[in-house]
Amino acid sequence: MKQLLFAAALLALAAVPPSFGSNYITGVVLSGLVFTVAAAALNLVYGYAGLLSFAQLGFWGIGGYCSALTVMRFGGNFWEGLLVAALVNAAIAAAVGLPTLRTGRHAFVIITLSFALLCGLVARDWVSLTRGPLGIPGLPAPSLFGFAFSTVPRFYYLVLAFAVLALGFLFALGTSRIGDTLRAIKQNEPLARSQGVSPLAYKLAAFVIGAIVTGLAGAIYVFYLKIVDPLFLDFYYMQTFLIVVIIGGAGNFWGVVLAGLVMVALPEALRFSNDLRMVIYGAILVVAMLVLPRGVAGWFADRRLAALRASLK
Amino acid sequence: MTALLEVADLAKAYRGVHAVDGVSFAVASGTITGMIGPNGSGKSTTIDCLSGFQRADRGRVSLDGHDITGLAPQKIARTFQTVRVFDQFDLVANLMVAVEPFRRVGWHDALARTARYRAARDAAEARAHELIELVGLTRLVAAPAGILSYGQKKLLALAAALMPKPRLVVLDEPVAGVNPTRINEVADILRKVNAAGATFLIVEHNVEFITGLCDHVIVLDQGKKLVEGPPAEVHSDQRVLDAYLGIDERQTSAVAEAS
Repeated sequence: MKQLLFAAALLALAAVPPSFGSNYITGVVLSGLVFTVAAAALNLVYGYAGLLSFAQLGFWGIGGYCSALTVMRFGGNFWEGLLVAALVNAAIAAAVGLPTLRTGRHAFVIITLSFALLCGLVARDWVSLTRGPLGIPGLPAPSLFGFAFSTVPRFYYLVLAFAVLALGFLFALGTSRIGDTLRAIKQNEPLARSQGVSPLAYKLAAFVIGAIVTGLAGAIYVFYLKIVDPLFLDFYYMQTFLIVVIIGGAGNFWGVVLAGLVMVALPEALRFSNDLRMVIYGAILVVAMLVLPRGVAGWFADRRLAALRASLK
Repeated sequence: MTALLEVADLAKAYRGVHAVDGVSFAVASGTITGMIGPNGSGKSTTIDCLSGFQRADRGRVSLDGHDITGLAPQKIARTFQTVRVFDQFDLVANLMVAVEPFRRVGWHDALARTARYRAARDAAEARAHELIELVGLTRLVAAPAGILSYGQKKLLALAAALMPKPRLVVLDEPVAGVNPTRINEVADILRKVNAAGATFLIVEHNVEFITGLCDHVIVLDQGKKLVEGPPAEVHSDQRVLDAYLGIDERQTSAVAEAS
């Protein structure tokens, strides 16, 4: 049943470009996939490990700049750009995470927020490297063995392949013993420690993996936009990732994936009323939070709990 | 009887308050040792130091002859005074957090679900079910721990402490706040686990519970060891009564007059 559902969803996603024949719709779903991957990475850090990290925005931007600079400045190709993005993010995440994860919950939020803002400042002010507010335009289409991902539908399949790989990895991680241990640390760290868990190692691993996946998503997405500039570090992106995780249900894999695809498509679906669309979007968010305070996954968990209580009576 | 745990001259001060001030004792292998004392006598600090949750200022802790001062060894399991369980996990998942059954399993095994990982997981799950049955919670096995009653959570915490097959189990107030009719059940469970080979060190205020269960009792007062011995002896010791009930004024004045 689950495999069938999964295959059907994959088939539907693969059928998006030919069945709509519109670059606009394909582009919306493409963005949805990229944001879903970034949200799933935030879910690993926030939903599983309980670390409210705003640094994800910084990693997203670093990933975008790394791949763009590799291609436009250092003469590499797109794939080397991805590798650079992953390595740089891993190194920075380890360096930032190691001291930051030793601080308390609130300090962690503030430091990661400062880190994200700092990344934005560097992108804007290190003009000799990043060209500052001008950004780096004209990113060429990536190619593989002579096949250029030069049209939106072609690029869409590249993104779909990345999303399946990244989400597959995060799924395997989240449903493994490692994911359970992270959720245990989030619920009660001293108890996890008394059971032999070393919380810092797990939290650092989650933080670094989250950074790598987010960075890769950003690195790919700038090649769809064909430009990277300081706006790529706008808080809009962080806000989108957070909304997806919270609506989906922090700590639940499928809830977040589902919410990712829905929440990114929603503002576009509301374009029938251009003046009011963000107002309606906001209203939907508020209602969703009132009805589903713990997200879609939390709602299902509550129903299951109610059924269990009834069966125990 | 050989000593499993030896504590020598343990001391810990918080901003000048000497919570534990040079305590020495031993827990013999296979026994149930009780530790009692009035509020603030240093019981919790003592077990925090020997299970690695606090760093002692001074002193030495050894387990089986190995120096473990300041470490948090897996061979010592503990429960907490304020009951701690993973509220969102069901009972089995609560016990599966323990690392010990998976010590030979790498992270890549866990990620790829290799045969080695699955074997360790199946064995751990079987043990988790056994322990849940031992503490009598089988009926609730699928429930998230958050919905358990306070006493049930304490039993679950005990089962979780036993999961790594520890040599020594340190229990911090296992029956405080537990329905009195269930206290005997807890004692029975502890006797059963003790018979199976686990050594216990139990901190508790319930003197009746300690007297009925323990082979040996240590009394702390104001960060120092006051008395130790078999429960019946300790129970009637004048110094223990003084520490708990305060010194009788008429007696003191009588002593003063006599001298």
